[in-house]
Amino acid sequence: MLLWLLVFLGGALIVVGRQTAAFKTARQLRDLRETRGSLEARRAELERRIRVASSREVLVPAARRGLGLHEPADSEFVLFAVPSPAAGVSR
Amino acid sequence: MAKPLVRIAAVQLGFALVIVAILARAAQLQLFQGERWGEQARRQRTERAVLPARRGGLFDRNGVPLAVSQEFYHVGIAPNELTDVGSTGRLISRQLGIPWSVLSRDLRAGKRWVYYHGPFSATQVQSLRRVSGIHLSQDYQRFYPSRLLARPIIGGLSAERESGAAGLELSLDSILTGAPGEAVLLKDRAGRRYDSPARVIREPVAGNDVVLTIDAELQEIAERGLDDALSRMDADGGDVVFLDPNTGELLALASRQSAGRSGYTASRASTFTDPFEPGSTAKLFTAAALLIHQRVDSSDRVFAEGGTWHMPITSSGITRVITDAHKTTGTLTLAQTIQVSSNIGIAKFSSRLAPEEQFEMLRDFGFGTLTGAEFPSESRGRLARPDKWQPMYTRASLAMGYEFGVTPVQLAVAYGAIANNGMLLTPTLVREIRSPQGDLLYRHHPEPVRQVVPPSVAAKLREYLKGAAGEGGTGEEAQLVNYTLLGKTGTAVRFENGRYVRGEYTASFAALFPADDPQLVVIVKIDNPQGKYYGGLTAAPVTRTMLQQALASRRVAIDRSRFADVDTGAAPEAQTSSTAATMARLVLSWPYSTPKVNRAVRLVPEVEGRPVREAALLLHRQGFRVTLRGLGRVSKTAPAAGDTAAPGTTVVVWAD
Repeated sequence: MLLWLLVFLGGALIVVGRQTAAFKTARQLRDLRETRGSLEARRAELERRIRVASSREVLVPAARRGLGLHEPADSEFVLFAVPSPAAGVSR
Repeated sequence: MAKPLVRIAAVQLGFALVIVAILARAAQLQLFQGERWGEQARRQRTERAVLPARRGGLFDRNGVPLAVSQEFYHVGIAPNELTDVGSTGRLISRQLGIPWSVLSRDLRAGKRWVYYHGPFSATQVQSLRRVSGIHLSQDYQRFYPSRLLARPIIGGLSAERESGAAGLELSLDSILTGAPGEAVLLKDRAGRRYDSPARVIREPVAGNDVVLTIDAELQEIAERGLDDALSRMDADGGDVVFLDPNTGELLALASRQSAGRSGYTASRASTFTDPFEPGSTAKLFTAAALLIHQRVDSSDRVFAEGGTWHMPITSSGITRVITDAHKTTGTLTLAQTIQVSSNIGIAKFSSRLAPEEQFEMLRDFGFGTLTGAEFPSESRGRLARPDKWQPMYTRASLAMGYEFGVTPVQLAVAYGAIANNGMLLTPTLVREIRSPQGDLLYRHHPEPVRQVVPPSVAAKLREYLKGAAGEGGTGEEAQLVNYTLLGKTGTAVRFENGRYVRGEYTASFAALFPADDPQLVVIVKIDNPQGKYYGGLTAAPVTRTMLQQALASRRVAIDRSRFADVDTGAAPEAQTSSTAATMARLVLSWPYSTPKVNRAVRLVPEVEGRPVREAALLLHRQGFRVTLRGLGRVSKTAPAAGDTAAPGTTVVVWAD
């Protein structure tokens, strides 16, 4: 009889232990999801700010004002065609 | 007094009856009402919750996010659950940006529940998650990182629910919308919810991501160029379209409408929705009909009437006065007619065509029908059938670009066919569709509609365009110094509310760039410019400026390796032209003898599993541009390994 009681108690303890661990893991998972969501929101905000800061709307007037630059006519730049390795460039 | 045995029997009977009653009740509860009570118990202990699914994002062709969904939160506060209204309130005020005076008034007003809709970002609410008395409800909010960029095309969502209401958000709604999930939350006696280990019944499935054909950099160039031009010309509005004629991909679409004193707004995608009478940009289509039906050869000439012609339109002698802005004496060939944009010349040439032939040509170029692009509220334009025409009158009008309406996109597609050796392609705004896991579900391939004109006729038409944009042509102002473009100007009296408005014009310019191997079709349309109103003086210089900016930007999707054949010897001569005054003092010529570049499409190499550095090197060697998504080892690429792509194409590399 005592043995059965011990078996029952042991079984019950295992169930309770597993449930507790599962709840703890679920809580950790939720925390991690929340942290990830928060970090993703932060990243998105930073990306947005980078995009705005590097847009032509911001950069072009700043370059014009601060550095005296202007948007070039096509006569003011040269496109270099980089030879591909297949064209016989050796090292 | 009964005998003891009787009393015992009575007690036993009583017990037996009680036991029977208990058993009967148990049987009733378990066997007959078990499901109902079980359900009620579940309802008391658990709560079903809908897990919102993330809506798919819209990205430009290089992966720049244009519309994405992000987690946002609404905040509910139970003041009686707050342990310290003062300190907690100040924390809430600081995190959510709600003025303390407002928050304090709300919290002390005796309400049981204070709700702030927000929406608040995950960053804002992070430090409030563990605070007793604060209840967060999560939702997704559409977010447009590039603010107003291409917004009329992208559209938006309805206010009530996260579904498309306009633009691509509407037409791609079924692709972007995900499937919501479902979860069970456990509740304690007080009704507080907490996570259960097996809470999710059905995971939410995010919507698919759509990579558009739009090039964000080129879009910005188009929008800024249009804004500057409209302000300078004090115009009523305008449109710009950039199209890749080889694939039908729409690269940039800018629209602006006047908003009175507050400047200009992009309230609608008029590139798709607003037809206009194209004026002289349509002369080329009559020329195409004349060439196809062999009603003209290169030596044919018509008398230019000195710039004013009384065209007979009935046998009874009623005439219509047709004038040319560029007064021409003598005679004109068809090529010269296009070059100087002679209304008289094209009206005379058009008399050689039957109405049906002229109509079919315009129809074949796609006018009067939907282009098939994914935009939801596209206009089909206006093109009457020949039986509705006033025979002589309408034929001349159509040849001059009047009495029919085209959208800027339709015009771009038609010019795209001329650039593409006569093959009309369906324009598209969708380049790729990807699953939430990044798997490729759809990739756009050019969709031919019909061969409108043979390649030889298309080549002839491009020659005409070269003349029109060359020296002495009406589009001369569009020419660049080192690169040649093809183009045709248009200036039409505005047609509004069923009548022509005297003194108001629509100026336009249609260009193919570069001349030898067009990669771009550019349409610029300016509504009612003040002062100078000819397309050659308004829209053409705007085209030149935008092309210069596109060329100078390394991020714009132009395959510069295809410029290898540019005649660099033209530069010194061109430097003495009218544009020389705008040049910098140091002008670089072409010092570099460019090697012949293989223009054929190339195979995207297999780089899966390689470190990103090695993969990028390999892709660069193949002539591709590389955009990295993550670090470590490559998990996949787009275009995928084994696919073909033109040199200069951006390959997106995902790494874990």
